[in-house]
Amino acid sequence: MADIKCAFVIQRPPYKSETSTLGFTHAISYQVVEMLLEDGQNVIPTVCMVGEGVLNLIKDQKAMENYGVTSIESHGKNSLLVDLDILVCKEDLDGFGIPEDRLLDAEDMGADKKLQIVPYSEIQKAMESANHLLFF
Amino acid sequence: MKLGVFVNDYKSTVDTVERLKADKLGLIFVQNGVYHATLKVNGKPCPLLDKTANLYALAEDLATRGLTDADVDKRVKVVTYSDVVDLIFNDYEQLAWL
Repeated sequence: MADIKCAFVIQRPPYKSETSTLGFTHAISYQVVEMLLEDGQNVIPTVCMVGEGVLNLIKDQKAMENYGVTSIESHGKNSLLVDLDILVCKEDLDGFGIPEDRLLDAEDMGADKKLQIVPYSEIQKAMESANHLLFF
Repeated sequence: MKLGVFVNDYKSTVDTVERLKADKLGLIFVQNGVYHATLKVNGKPCPLLDKTANLYALAEDLATRGLTDADVDKRVKVVTYSDVVDLIFNDYEQLAWL
């Protein structure tokens, strides 16, 4: 039985709404969804950060200190910790002038995964191959 | 008219702000509005920064998003909540939230 591919496309900036947070939490919850699948079937999630969505990945966010909420940086790091693939649009990073060293990683949490900075064409492929496409 | 405008979103408010006219116009970048003060899209700063010399960005909202004073355009003054209160009471007769 074929696996189910889900692409979670995060295109909104952080904090103005819950939208981008929901994108990460939905993607992380894929492990729960697997209980609803047929035997041997798996969910393969991919998070795609495009447009203003790439702004969610800037590190050293002080959301807890200033807003009293968990930072979206934490959600991104937790996503890496559970081995989610996070594709980040290179063109959009370049367009905003955000260098790679300004982006989060989860090495301090022991994560093996890293953000994958890719051209938009790679994100397009991920979206085309997905059974379910979810925009946030 | 002395008009202070809280710009609290990114992109969607640009057209509206560009049409506003006031004897003294202040743009106070808060929440996601702080990206106007920090991001250079394709190397160009936000056109809103040419609209007036009275530009402010809230320090707390910059820090929340992982941005620092060094990211802020030199024309924009980084201010605290307390400074914003002073602006509201001392510098502007009318205020708008976009």
